[in-house]
This record gives sequence, structure tokens and C-alpha cells, in this order.
Amino acid sequence: MTDTRFAPLGVLEEQVLVAVLRTRNDSYGMRVRREIEHVTGRDLSIGAVYATLDRLEAKGLVTSGRVAGDGPSRRLFRVSPAGAQALAETRAMRERLWHGVDVRGLLALAGR
Amino acid sequence: MHPPDHDEPHRWLPALPLALLRLLLPRPERDEVIADLAAEFAQHAAAGGRAAARRWVWRQALASAPALLGWNWWRGWSGFEPRANAYRPGGLMLKHWMADARYTARRLRARPVYTLVAVLTLALGVGGTAAVFGIARPLMFEPLPYAHASEVGMFWMPGWWYEAEFSEMRGRFSGFRNVAAYRPADVTMRQGNSPARLVPGIATSVELFDVLGARPFLGRGFHAGEDVRGAAPVAVISYGLWQELGGTPAVVGTRLILDGTPTTVVGVMPRGFWFPDPSVRIWRPQPINPQRMNGSFTLVGRVAPGHDVRHMDAEMHRIVQTLAVRFASDYFGDADKRRAPALTPLRDALVGSMRPALMATLAAMGLILLIACANVAALMLGQVEGRASELAVRSALGANRRRLVQQLVIEALLLGLGAGLLGAALAAAGFHLLAGALPIGAWAERAAFDWQLFAAALGIALVAVLLVVLVPAMSLWRGDLRIALSGARTGGIQGRGGRLERGLVVAEVALAMLIASGAALLVRSVSNLYAIDPGVDTQHIAVVDLLSSPTMHDADRARVVRSLLAELGSIPSVRSVAATAKLPLRGAGDSFGMRAEGHPEMSQVITYFRIVSPGYFKTMGIALRQGRAFDVSDPPMIFDSAAQADSTREASIVVNETLARTFFPGENPIGRHLLGGFDQRQRIVGVVSNVAEAGLTDAPAPTAYYLGDQVGWESGVSLVLRTARPQDASGVLDAARRIVQRVAPDMAVQQTTTMARVFDTAVGPARQVMSLLTVLSALALVLGAVGIYGVISHFAARRQRDWAIRVALGLPGSRVVRHIVGQGAALVGVGVVLGAIGTAVLARLLASLLFGVSAIDPLAFAAASGALLVIGVIAAFVPAWRAGSVDPALVLREQ
Repeated sequence: MTDTRFAPLGVLEEQVLVAVLRTRNDSYGMRVRREIEHVTGRDLSIGAVYATLDRLEAKGLVTSGRVAGDGPSRRLFRVSPAGAQALAETRAMRERLWHGVDVRGLLALAGR
Repeated sequence: MHPPDHDEPHRWLPALPLALLRLLLPRPERDEVIADLAAEFAQHAAAGGRAAARRWVWRQALASAPALLGWNWWRGWSGFEPRANAYRPGGLMLKHWMADARYTARRLRARPVYTLVAVLTLALGVGGTAAVFGIARPLMFEPLPYAHASEVGMFWMPGWWYEAEFSEMRGRFSGFRNVAAYRPADVTMRQGNSPARLVPGIATSVELFDVLGARPFLGRGFHAGEDVRGAAPVAVISYGLWQELGGTPAVVGTRLILDGTPTTVVGVMPRGFWFPDPSVRIWRPQPINPQRMNGSFTLVGRVAPGHDVRHMDAEMHRIVQTLAVRFASDYFGDADKRRAPALTPLRDALVGSMRPALMATLAAMGLILLIACANVAALMLGQVEGRASELAVRSALGANRRRLVQQLVIEALLLGLGAGLLGAALAAAGFHLLAGALPIGAWAERAAFDWQLFAAALGIALVAVLLVVLVPAMSLWRGDLRIALSGARTGGIQGRGGRLERGLVVAEVALAMLIASGAALLVRSVSNLYAIDPGVDTQHIAVVDLLSSPTMHDADRARVVRSLLAELGSIPSVRSVAATAKLPLRGAGDSFGMRAEGHPEMSQVITYFRIVSPGYFKTMGIALRQGRAFDVSDPPMIFDSAAQADSTREASIVVNETLARTFFPGENPIGRHLLGGFDQRQRIVGVVSNVAEAGLTDAPAPTAYYLGDQVGWESGVSLVLRTARPQDASGVLDAARRIVQRVAPDMAVQQTTTMARVFDTAVGPARQVMSLLTVLSALALVLGAVGIYGVISHFAARRQRDWAIRVALGLPGSRVVRHIVGQGAALVGVGVVLGAIGTAVLARLLASLLFGVSAIDPLAFAAASGALLVIGVIAAFVPAWRAGSVDPALVLREQ
């Protein structure tokens, strides 16, 4: 554990942050939602996505700004340096956690 | 990647989920989310059909709702606003309210004294009002436990009807579907070898449950023919008694030993049923003797279809005319039923007597609540004026007036919530105390605190704070904040301010005056009642009320009474012992129509008859005026059947002065005879002073005393024990109770008490209402004092600079003090005058509780206004003193 202030991200927070990264310059709420749905294959409500994005912004993990388009102006999100660090640390923590676990044995146990 | 089909994307969106989302989405994000949703809806529709797309939108809206609510709440609470929204129009109402609530909570925490005083004051009013309401609710507002209770009414002269009268009219009461006759008949109940215990009960004709429209929930009611002599004894019991007996259906059909007679339980009344009051636990058929011109029955009837209980005068007159045909000769004096035939609606008859006391208490509690409201309103107003410059700055920076008022409302709601919760807790804690303090008898045990009362407390508190917030909100709305800003630095020379505040204090004083003068009226009334001499010693006498089985033989009962008196006399602190069939001050009791022998011209006079033991007059402290009291020369006839049968044997009687004067005006009554009542000839051997035999305030009535050993006791006997010191009177009761259980296991101790308590009860509900109102008026005075103190402090602080200049110019500090105290006294004076006017109008509410004092009593008014003036001046003096002794140099430098 390198940073004592690091608080691990929640699952949805992590997914949303990764989705913001993946959608790069077009990360508005609905797009983020669709991205997660597309990758994970499970339904996600737009309300939950916006509430999470807001909370992430309050924590300083994403920033948002408005761009004008042909419809109403959009709030676009971008992962902040702190957000990038949180993601990296969450991933590192997970890898540490998985280190040494026999994945093949696990799959066998799951009957695959 | 904007949606390709942008022109009318909303058109096909289902309206309901769209509206839900519009409602819940924060305003800055609303349009873009809806637009994106519409675009995705179009894609879904293209891919999987419109129905699938609609389902998708529904799922989105419903699944989003909790998250969106949480989001709004969180934004309001945390105050977070993303940079991207910096220049966009504001968010949801909820968000503003949340932010304001947070701000207000912080402000309240920063002013703990203000918050505490406001919450406590309101909580007292709220809790008190909720508790009294809860107690009055089953009596005044809830439906009676009878079917169509509005069709049931009570006949006039309750407790005065004879079996013969009822039998005469039975089945042909015109205008009635059914009429029942009942009388109180407590029974002794024995289980196994335990001593007999008393069960409050009713003896009734079989129609009772039909009249009331009540069915037992187990077993049956009474059948026709069960109220004739010789019928198998049956009883219907209350839910409570049924539970005590085991609470199983098998109780129906079992036999209880009631008054020494095995009696079959045939039914159990449902939970919540009561008649005629909640203390009654057993109903038995009364064998009705069509010839008997005795018995103290009450008639209750259900009117026939098409009749109204309130308009039965014609029918009642017809009934009394029919009765008079046969009974005219028995209708004399107070017993004349022709005087005022009437039918009283059941609720009025059963609980009407408790209404004035409850209404007076409820009104007083409501007044306390109003005073508390005025107090808190004045407090808030002071806060608003104290914050004038802050508010003005905020307003100058763009906060609109609506938002400022909204903050006030939220502050009030928070205070109200606190007051409601605390008030409910107070109500719950003080509920049984209050129920016991109110003159409502057995209903006190039925009163219970429940969630409805909790909700009522919260509701009352919220209504109260909304009332409260009106005043400061009005002041805020009307006042020009920019002027306040410009004036803030110039000190407080605006003497015009504070009119609302002063108005509130005047209102508070006026309300306190209402309660205080109500209490003063009752204090006067009750002290008048206590000043009445009942004619007996009330200080040294212990009382044991016994009930024996009516089937007990007269001689046996007399023997038991004799041995009880002998045993009780051996208790160390007891000076003398006696027995009576009915104590003074406990209602009319039994009476005969009597005449004086040798005065054929005289008509019958209603005469109370009292059965006593020889030492009765000495024990009770009743003075002998003429002749002698009962003594050994009066032979006990009850043990000797030959003597009883011998009609020439005379019973000795002692009469009171009123009887002597009424029957033998200007003659010597000693040795004369009375006619009527018992079979024996009755010779007067002595005359005693008048005693308040029936009620405390009744005029003395003719009374004749008989010896139990000569005429026989009744099933109820009260033993009276005279002790050397007043404090012993309650001390000997336990010993007496043990002796009764040992010597007379067949008799049930109905209750043990003292003559002092009997006297208290005779003084009636006024005494208890007086105690409550006295406490409440003390509370009102304290609240009023707090209000006056607050407003005068504020007044003094506002004009501090003004006075500092004058003091600096040579005005003595004492003049400042006098001026400020004068301001306070003027406010109290106006309040007292207004309150006195209000009292003159509202004192009618108390009229039925007053005795020997008019509702507009100058002395009571003077006492109340004096108390208020003194308290008001003291409350004003503290801030005045502070203002008068301040160093002007300090004040002027500060400003």
C-alpha cells in the first residue's frame, strides 16, 4: 500500500471510471451507461450512472465541462490525475489479491 | 455521436416515465439526459420494435428513481455543484430545501439557548394538549360501543325508577323499540378458598343488550324469562373478567359463586364493550317484581324507527300520563316523575358529566400551547431583527426574499419536529399521571397512549410552528431590507420597531390571564366547598366498605356486624367503632315517604332512612341535640322472630333537626311516632344535628336513623373507625382489612378509605380541575414571564445607544430603569385588560364547576391580574436594571 489516503473504489465507481476512459473524448452520461452495458452485458440505469459520476467529481476523481452540440449542451467527463491514480491502485490491489491464485484450478472448480 | 433523429425524439416516448424523469432529474442535466434517452429509445425502437423500446424506457425510469432521489438529496446535503453547471439555472426544490435545512440546522446548533427554549416551550404545550386530547378522545370523540348509539337514550330521574313502574309499562313504552331497567349491583365472587372479592356489576332486565345493540362475542345474551324470581341464575361477563377466569371458550357454561349463589356464565362481551362505565365487569338479570314499589333503577331505551332521541317530549309525556293513572298517589315531592319527563341522549347521560372538566382542561392546555407559540414567535422575531444586517447583506448579494422566508419556515419546521418528538415523549410520560388527576373515574384506566397520539403530537407541533412562523415571516416580507442595512450602523434609534413583538407579549399575557383567572375562580369555588360544614368529623375517621351476599340471613348479618365491631374496637389507635348502611356525602341513598303520626293533615315527606349501629353518632362526631342516642335500652329485635312478628313492638329512631322541625313544628318530637317505611311503629328517642347526608351542597333533608339490630342491615355496610389522631385514620385500614377477612370471610371489602377522602370526592370534579388549572396557570405565568423578559431585553438592547447618550448627558440610571419597567408594565396592563374581557366570555365553560362564586368574580380577576402584573414587572426589571447600570462610554465606543 503506497498511499495511505487511497480508498478502494466501489465496483460501480470503478466501472464508470473505466468506461469514461474507454469512451475518451465523448464521455457523457448516456454514452458511459451504454459502454458499461455493452461490455458487462447487464442493465444499468442512467440515474445510477449520473449519481456515481457526480460523486466521483465531488471526490475529485473526474472533472466535467460543457460542450455545445446541435442539441442541448452536454456535460462531458474526463478522468482526473487523482482518478487515474485511484484506478491504477484499485487494479494493483486486485492483482495483488489474485496473485498466487490458481486460475486453472478455479475454473476446474467452477466446472468449466 | 449525436442522435441522428433529433427533430421530434420525445414524441414516441411514453409520457409517464418521461414525467417521472423530468421530475427527478436535476435541472442542469435534465434536457441532455432526456435528449439522449430519446435517441436511444429511437435506436431500441428501430432494432426491436416500439413495444420493446417502451419497456426499456420504463425500466430506465423506474430503476433510476431511487438513484436520482439519492442524488438530489446528496447534492442538497453536501452542497456540491459541479463546475460544469456553474452558469446553469438552479436545481430541484428538494435540493434547495435540503441546503437550507443544513444551513438552518447549523444556525440552530450555534444558538443552543434559543433552540432549547423554543423546543422546550413548544414541547410542553404540544405534549400537554396531545395528552389531554388522548384522555378526552374515548369519552368525547370516539363512537360508543353500541350499535346506532344515537337511537339510544336515558330516561329522566335515573336511579329513581321502581320495578312496578317498569313492569306496568313493559312492552308498551310508546315511541320505543325496547326499554331496559338496570341498577348498579356489585357482587361478591368467591373462587376456591380465597376470601370473597368484589366485582362491580349491573343487575338488569333482560332487554339490556338488545337496547344497546351489543352481542356477546362468546355465548349468548339474556333470554326472556330470565329476569323473574326463581329463574336459573345466569351472568354475562366482561372481556377483562373472562381473561382473568382463563380466557378460554370453556368459561362459558361454567358456574361462578356470585353472592353465595352458583351462577352460570352464559356469555362474554367483546373487548372494548362497556356499560354504563368501564368499571362494570358483570351483568346479571334482575328478578323484576311487578308489585315492588322500591328499587333504584335507571331506564334506558332504544327509540322506534322514525323517532329521534332529541325529540321525544310528546312520547315521554304520554308515558308519564299512563304511569300516573296507577301511581299518582306515590308521586309526591322529589319522587314525582311528572315534573320533568325527558330523554337524554346516551352519550350525554353516560359521560356528559365529565365534559366540563375535560373541556376546561383541554382549553387550558390549548391556551398554554398558544402562549408557547406566541413566545417562540417573539423569539424568532427577535432573531430576525437581530439578524437584520446579515439578512440585508444576503439580500443585497442576490438572495431573494422567498428564499429567506423559506429558511425561516425550515427553521420553524425543524423546531416543530424537535418539539413534536419531545412533546410526544412528555405526553407518553405524563399520560397516566394526567389521566389519574382528571375527574374521569374508571375511564382513566382505559386511556392509553398510542401511535395516533404520537402522530397527533407531531401534527399539533407542525401546525403550531407554521402559526409561529407567520409573524416573523410577515415582518421579513414587509420590511425593506436595504433600509435595515443602511440603518444598521446608526444604532437603534428606530423606536418604531418591535410593534409585532409587543403585540405578541400582550397576547401572551391575555392568554395567561385566561388560565390564571380560571384557576382563581376554581380555587375560590373549591375553598367555598371546603368551608361547608358537613356535620360530621372528616378528620379522624377511617372507612371500610363491605358487601355481603343479599341472600345472607338478616340475623346472621347482624351477628357478623356485631363481632366485627367488637374486634375492630380492639385496634390500639381506634377510639370507637360503628357501622352504617350508607355514609354521608355519598349521594341520596334510600328514602321513604313518611308522615308524622297525629298530623293527618300532613302530606308525605321524602325522608332519608339510615341504618346504623349504636355508637354511630359518637363515632362520626354528630352532635346530639335532644333526647338520647341509641343505647342498650333499645332491644335488638332481629335475633328474635317472635319480636319481629309482634307488630306492637316499637323500633327506636333518632331523627335530625330538619325532620323534627318539618314534622313537629313548635312541638317536642321526643316520644312521637312516624308512619311509613318499616312495618314496626317508630318512636323518636333523640334528635341529632343535620348532616350532609346526600351531597355536600344539598340543603339539609329530613333523615331518620334506625338500628341495624332492630330493622336489619342491607347487603352493603360501611364500618367507621374513629382514631385518636387524624394521621391514624389511614394507618388503621390495613389492620381493619385483615380483621374483616378473618372474622367475616363471606363479606367482600369493597374499598377502604377515610372520611377526608369521602369529603374530597364529595367536593367533586372542581377540586381536581382546580389542581390541574393551578399547575397550568403557574406554567402560563412562567412562559409569560419568559416572553416579557425576552421582549423587554430586546427593547432595551435596541435603544441602548439612545439611553447611553442621555445618561452621558446627565439622565440618572434610575430613570432608564423606570422607563423600561414602565414599558413592561404597560404591556402587561393591556394584556390583563384583554384577558379579563376574554375571561368574562369564556368563564361560562367553568360554570358547572363553580360553587358560591359567579363566573365574573372581581376577587378572582384581581388575584389573577395581580399575579400577572407582579411577574411581568419582575421579568421586565432584570433587563431594565442591566440597561440602567451600563457604562455609557462603553456603549458609545462600541458603536
